[in-house]
Amino acid sequence: MNIIFIAINLAFALIIAPLIDGFERKIRARLQNRQGPSILQTWWDLIKLFKRPTIEPQDSIKPLYKLAPYITFTSVLTAYLIIPTVLPASTNFIGDLILVVYLLGLATLSFVIGAFSSGNAYAQIGSNRDVSLFMSEELLLAFIIGTIAVIGKSLSFDRLFPLPFRISSILALLLLFLVIYVASTRLPFDIAEAEPEIIEGPLIEYSGKHLGLLKYFVFLKRLLLYSLILDFIIPIQNPIRLICYLIGIIILSIVYSTLEAYYGRFRIDQAVGILKRASIVALIVWMIAVVGW
Amino acid sequence: MILEILKSNNAKILRHDEKVTVALVPNDKLRTTAELLFKAGCYYATGAGVDERLLGVGFSMYHIFNCEAEGRYIIIKAVASNLKIPSITPIISGTNWAEREVMDMLGIFFDEHPEPVRLILPDDWPEGVYPLRKDFRYNERPPRVEFEQKREKKPGVMEVPVGPYHPALHEPEMFELYVKGEEIVGAVYRGFHIHRGMEKLAEGRMTINQIPFLAERICGICGYTHNCAYVQAIEDAAKIEVPERALYIRTILLELERIHSHMLWLGVAFHLLGFESGFMHTWRIRETFMDLAELLTGNRKTYGMNLIGGVRRDIDENKKKGLSEILDKTKKEIREIFDNATQMRELINRMEGIGVLSKKKGREIGVVGPTARGSDIDTDVRRDHPYAAYGDLEFKVPIYKDGDVLSRFLVRYEEVLESIWLIEQALDQLPPGDILNEEYELPEHTICVGATEAPRGEDVHFAIMGEGNKVYRWHPRAPTYNNLPAVPIMLKGEKLADAPIIIASIDPCFSCTDHIVIVDGEKVYRYSLDNYLGGL
Repeated sequence: MNIIFIAINLAFALIIAPLIDGFERKIRARLQNRQGPSILQTWWDLIKLFKRPTIEPQDSIKPLYKLAPYITFTSVLTAYLIIPTVLPASTNFIGDLILVVYLLGLATLSFVIGAFSSGNAYAQIGSNRDVSLFMSEELLLAFIIGTIAVIGKSLSFDRLFPLPFRISSILALLLLFLVIYVASTRLPFDIAEAEPEIIEGPLIEYSGKHLGLLKYFVFLKRLLLYSLILDFIIPIQNPIRLICYLIGIIILSIVYSTLEAYYGRFRIDQAVGILKRASIVALIVWMIAVVGW
Repeated sequence: MILEILKSNNAKILRHDEKVTVALVPNDKLRTTAELLFKAGCYYATGAGVDERLLGVGFSMYHIFNCEAEGRYIIIKAVASNLKIPSITPIISGTNWAEREVMDMLGIFFDEHPEPVRLILPDDWPEGVYPLRKDFRYNERPPRVEFEQKREKKPGVMEVPVGPYHPALHEPEMFELYVKGEEIVGAVYRGFHIHRGMEKLAEGRMTINQIPFLAERICGICGYTHNCAYVQAIEDAAKIEVPERALYIRTILLELERIHSHMLWLGVAFHLLGFESGFMHTWRIRETFMDLAELLTGNRKTYGMNLIGGVRRDIDENKKKGLSEILDKTKKEIREIFDNATQMRELINRMEGIGVLSKKKGREIGVVGPTARGSDIDTDVRRDHPYAAYGDLEFKVPIYKDGDVLSRFLVRYEEVLESIWLIEQALDQLPPGDILNEEYELPEHTICVGATEAPRGEDVHFAIMGEGNKVYRWHPRAPTYNNLPAVPIMLKGEKLADAPIIIASIDPCFSCTDHIVIVDGEKVYRYSLDNYLGGL
């Protein structure tokens, strides 16, 4: 039974993730005084990309360049087995919290390695930025995970969902909200892709199916992170969990896309500075959690 | 003061009236004259070479200085002996491009020029063929020559091409940035990917009253100001009295053009900084100004309003009412969006202290317009050389001292509000009467100059009248020509992430596409469009 539920969860994620992006595009367009494309537009874009031929640049290290999108995509899919989305079903074991963090790290790393191996100057600058952002984000995430583990006294998600209602857990969730914002490559943190500056950076050489996979990965990652934060809040045995979850997703995407519409892009040093400051806050939150508040 | 300088250098005064002085300076005194003029506060506006063999003179070079203190343009003429003229680039670096252009187009060599390499002609253009000489027909196409260009690779430095196609730049030009990590250690500008040969076309086959329409097509954003500058040059030569109503209508349109151009730039700046909402809203407001232009002239852009001696369409009471109503409404909206934008810390942080151009360097290069005014250089053609109706109207010239991108941003923002105020005044005081004076006689061989303050800065048109309803020589100089050499200086030492906004901060206006450059490690090939399409 559990396996079927997990499969439903996975299918839900694969279908809904691009729709959420379409929804967010619509909200941003309305805020910018535009009509905006249909909610299905992101899906049409992806379908088009998957139909297109892929081209490998001459200077690239071909095996790495071709493999990277698949590793990126599958690692984020694997994380869906552990984090429940629409149905409360998942495979859980001790330490799966750590595994999810590693899977997300693996996805980013293979993304960057693929970009590096393309041999393009813009891609290299973009990956450089991606790595520095990832590093500072990782520090913050480490503190948050520490806090959550201390609060729930466990490293397994089945004992962490939902988090007990405490000052430290609210603060930790607020910080998680920030990390998720940064990790979902949104303005002002889309520095690695920065279209007017370095022409989509790491993605510049990718085309067709590979580009489609990488874009798909970004949408899946966003939904995964949304689900993570909602799972920490909504009780797993709640009979109306499904409704709460769907409403939560909609609220999160409205909040995130509204925030995005009101920001200009940071420079990488500014973004790293902000994340460092947030890390110090996270350290303090961890101490609060240790004290037992 | 200026006359004394010229006379002390044995100059022969060819023309001297309240706006323009033309003097023939002997070649051995050329440098000292230029130096003295520069020290007296005149900056280098532009230079034009002329093939005057048909007038019995030979080849000559006209250096045009802008003397703001006296409200006068000084044109010093030097005649080439043996195709050679001493270069004044070692003294004023702003003459670099003007002299190289003349070397390319006319084959006059400038002695001791520090960088005597091609600027405008493409690499596949044959040696020894000079397109602006009078014996070169306007429709002649010389055969293409093969070439190979060696590229140096610097160790430890990455070369990042920004252009010829790049999403941050909406026209084809190229900046080669040399980057270490995120820091820019050097920048080279390569431009003139298309030279449309407008000067040759105008001299070769157009009449005096056709050129205004060609001049308007120099630029897709600020065409009307080119049109005005040309018309003013001819009116200056022929001493034509333009009806006052026409002058006021010109002022209204010039300011309308400035507003739409600045709004466009402000939107682009927001876009480059990633602030998409600001971009969309700025362009939404700009759209009302495009509609206003359509109301007044029938066209959203490329108004086609000027003729020599006046304008072609009148502003009636109905249009006047519609104009002031819309202005009132948009003024509030503009203030709202920009007051919000200037309160966004992260937006201001991205512009503050970035791309600094010092006042001294700016003067040497001869930067103009908002680029100059952002660097504490108090210059504005509207105030210093009053034209159209600007002499009767009241306006402020915003000056900022820091010389960074933020200063240039704020200068443009304040100018938008000033322009609205100018239009309101001009509408209020619009005098009755004719709009076109067609009774005039054109002189022959008169040297004349017309200048306007384009949205991007001083726009100078230099002309020599020809025989029978033609110009002998017409040399327009767009403001970006003077501002671009400053960009590599602004870029040096900055972060790569800031490069697009720095390049955009001078509001560059390049041209439409014609050449592509393929960077292939060691070699550079440059293809013309025909060649490229043939290969597909």
